[in-house]
Amino acid sequence: MSPAASAAILAGAALKMRMPASLLQVAAIVVGGPLLVGLMAKCRARAEGRIGAPISQPLRDLRKLVRKERIHAEHSSAVLAVAPFVLVASATVAVAISPLVTTAPVLDGGADAFVVVYLLLMGSVALALGGLDPGTAFGGMGSSRAMTVGALAEPALLVAILALSIQAKTSNLPGIVKATLAHPGWLASPERLLALAALVVVVIAETGRIPVDNPSTHLELTMIHEAMVLEYAGPELALVTLGEAMRLGLLFGLVANLFFPWGIASSASLPQLSLAVVVLAAKAATIAVVIALIEVSTAKLRLFRIPELLAGGFVLAVLAVMTGLVTR
Amino acid sequence: MRAGRELDLLQLTAGLVLACSVVTLWRRDLRALVAVLALQGGALGTLAALLAVQHGDLGLGIVAGVVFVAKGFVIPSLLARVVRRDPGSRETAPLVNVPASLVGAGALVIVSYLSAGRLTSLFPSPATRLAPLGLATVLVGFFLLVSRRKAVSQIVGLLLVDNGIALVAFLLTAGVPLLVELGASLDVLLIVVVLQVLATSMRSRFGHVDLDQLRELHD
Amino acid sequence: MLCYAVLAVPLAAAAFAGMVPWRRSVGWVTVLANGAVLGIGTVLAIETNHHRPVEALNGALRADALSAFMVVVIGTIALLAAIQAVRYLDVEIARGRSSARHASLYCVLVQLFVTCMLAAVLSASLGALWVAIEATTIATTFLVGHRRTDGALEASWKYVLICSVGIALAFLGTVFVYFAALHVPGHATGASVLDWTSLMAASHHLDPSVMRLAMALLVLGYGTKVGLAPMHSWLPDAHSQAPAPVSALMSGVLLTVAFYALLRFKVIADGALGPDYVRTLLVIVGLASLLVAASLLLTQRDYKRMLAYHSIEHMGLIALGAAAGTTLAIAAVLLHILGHGLAKAVLFLASGEILLVEGTSEIEKVPALLSRRPVLGGIFGFGLVALLGLPPFSLFVSELNMIRAELDVGLGWAAGISLALMAVIFAAVMGHGRHLLLGGAGASGKPAATPGIVAIPLVGGLIACAVFGLSAWPLQSLLYAAAHVVVK
Repeated sequence: MSPAASAAILAGAALKMRMPASLLQVAAIVVGGPLLVGLMAKCRARAEGRIGAPISQPLRDLRKLVRKERIHAEHSSAVLAVAPFVLVASATVAVAISPLVTTAPVLDGGADAFVVVYLLLMGSVALALGGLDPGTAFGGMGSSRAMTVGALAEPALLVAILALSIQAKTSNLPGIVKATLAHPGWLASPERLLALAALVVVVIAETGRIPVDNPSTHLELTMIHEAMVLEYAGPELALVTLGEAMRLGLLFGLVANLFFPWGIASSASLPQLSLAVVVLAAKAATIAVVIALIEVSTAKLRLFRIPELLAGGFVLAVLAVMTGLVTR
Repeated sequence: MRAGRELDLLQLTAGLVLACSVVTLWRRDLRALVAVLALQGGALGTLAALLAVQHGDLGLGIVAGVVFVAKGFVIPSLLARVVRRDPGSRETAPLVNVPASLVGAGALVIVSYLSAGRLTSLFPSPATRLAPLGLATVLVGFFLLVSRRKAVSQIVGLLLVDNGIALVAFLLTAGVPLLVELGASLDVLLIVVVLQVLATSMRSRFGHVDLDQLRELHD
Repeated sequence: MLCYAVLAVPLAAAAFAGMVPWRRSVGWVTVLANGAVLGIGTVLAIETNHHRPVEALNGALRADALSAFMVVVIGTIALLAAIQAVRYLDVEIARGRSSARHASLYCVLVQLFVTCMLAAVLSASLGALWVAIEATTIATTFLVGHRRTDGALEASWKYVLICSVGIALAFLGTVFVYFAALHVPGHATGASVLDWTSLMAASHHLDPSVMRLAMALLVLGYGTKVGLAPMHSWLPDAHSQAPAPVSALMSGVLLTVAFYALLRFKVIADGALGPDYVRTLLVIVGLASLLVAASLLLTQRDYKRMLAYHSIEHMGLIALGAAAGTTLAIAAVLLHILGHGLAKAVLFLASGEILLVEGTSEIEKVPALLSRRPVLGGIFGFGLVALLGLPPFSLFVSELNMIRAELDVGLGWAAGISLALMAVIFAAVMGHGRHLLLGGAGASGKPAATPGIVAIPLVGGLIACAVFGLSAWPLQSLLYAAAHVVVK
């Protein structure tokens, strides 16, 4: 048997071993993402003295939306209809290859930080195009604002992850997680802390939370994301909401694993995987609670102040890279 | 392992000094500026103390104590007094807006890393390698100094330059001779007192400390 | 012993002025003290000219010929300024613009300022030199703001802020020099690493790339205090707003004390890098300063600011002279330091008197001074002639020799540019001076007299300046001994 063929067989075997873990990741995020959104809403409600909707409310909303009829805006093209699918598909791939539950997801070599960031960007662009497509005032405004935020947030995300990859000497996300597991001392290093601060800013911006965006507002002066998806209804709105929730779950999970990797499964054995899911849920929930508390305690920034926050995140990421280089 | 822990702490405090200087560009609230400055001074003092322990150098230990008290407490409290007279004063319209300042700071950080390459490659040691962080702090301080209009912001800029230089001095040489270092710290303290007095009398004379509106002397 | 005395005398005068309530005699005590500094400086100069450097305080203080020369310069200008200060404070108190408390504070600060400058030139360690120069900034801030007007306040703010930043850069440069010295095998350790003589001995082993960075920072940093472009912007404001005696001290000696620091560093850097690097730096800042001075002198409307820009010009000339760096050049630079100090002090003191009696510092509003106040106008006129580098004054000799030295080392092009810019400055200052002295409607009524306390020291200063121009006799050997200290 030729070496190439045996390598192919080996790769096939590896794929078979990795597939279930990745599917588990996707399932965990599809269910967990909306639950995290619900959890944050619940936290805010409690902190504001209300009882609030149950945590599972976003899942019920999704179920309800899926049963509704499909309606498209007048004058809209196929872009409007395709965008939600692109969003969910890109999020799904990103989730599948990221080290969330296991350090050995499918396409191990392809799980590069850059690939994940660009998959996320693909979803953002699709959504922005979808917002522009019907030609309404709100949609265009929302897309424009979302791209303004994204233009600063995406580079910051990349640079922050770059700082981590300088330390780990690889830009492969599972590789970074594995290297961190091997060198727990890295977590107290300045570049990690700076990168963490930068990532928190980015995550807040990317998931559209206060102080960048308010997910529960429909006030034209301030809304960003809600303006963009105003023309969606029914099953397509369900897809958009699901896609957004998945991105939130993915980002929370990534931050959790990059800065606190313990509990992630290193093999595909069932007990390890199930433990990893529970640990991931706990970590992501912790982050969600923290961010919800930030939301409660801060006021939303005026729109033209948002670039300041994001530029700050960007500079923190640059600083992280710089400290990474000098302490190498 | 012990040495490793010390090195980690060294990196952490040095990184904190630089991070603080970037935060000063970020915030407009003058009170926050002063608080960040105090944090930076504390980090600098801690770093000097770490080096003193590492080298077993009593003189440096004394300097560390002086720096910690002067830069962490005395100078910030002097500035806080100026700010308190002017409640709610903010850097409303800096000459360079905040996002541009922050991106500029990123560029300055990179410049300092590139330009300090020779210094660090000459005598590579874990502490020397961190020197670009100090240079970056100096440059960011300069930037704050030239791009802000409030008296307090400018004083903070000057102090950032000074803290950055102190950081470089500690990292490269484990502190210049004791007398010089103490003299330098005393000088900085006196300069801040002088500036505080000037800012106070400007406030009582002009009713503001907005240096952009001082236009009496020009050509 | 001499080193202690030269520092103790002005310090004691400061303490005395601080404890005794202000009256005229306190002012005269400070005059006496500064006279004593000049006397001790002269003794020190004779001593170091013929013998080895004088050391004190375990070698922390050291006076070689260069230090002694600077002590003489400081003493001379401080003496002139102190005499004028008696008159200035008298008039200010009589007019109710100043109180006895402020007068005391003024005397204390001026004496501390003089002490700091003396400490700077006597420090053996380059670190201590830095501390002393930084301390001059603190001592002079409230002197700049002594008139307590809006402009004075603004000027002192700019002065402190810009000079502190500049001097901080100089500190960074000093740290780099220290860093380079630490890594010279077999070099001294501890506090004496920054000792100038030991650095000189090790200068060939200092790492060139570190020294390059250090020297750029030092030229920029101390250059701020010297008033060299591009960090000169504080100078016209501070010098025009400060009381005249303070302007005289700042312009006459403080600038050159900072330049003295550059001379000390230059020779070390030359050892490590060869002469070309520092030469290039100094030529750049020197020509830039001349350009700034020339372009801003043309449109000047205030005679104190005119004098201030003139200081920038002369500092540029000195930088060019130092760039040449031969023994002749450095001797000429030192003579220029003395001549510029004398002429500039005389002019600032005379302009202070003009401001006192005329009440304005605008050239337009003070015409035909020569016919209205012949003595004062004459002093101002001769002072301008001296400052423009015309014979018989010593600035002519020093400028000539600096240009000769520049031609010797192949800096002819720089000398040419500097001559062209000097011609522009000459024309501009002559224009302003003509209006101030001769212009306008001419005299009406009897010419006003000028008090002897003003005229006698100023005429003395001008005569000294002329004597050094006509005959180098009392100074020549000292100048060369001092130049040899910083020329390898």
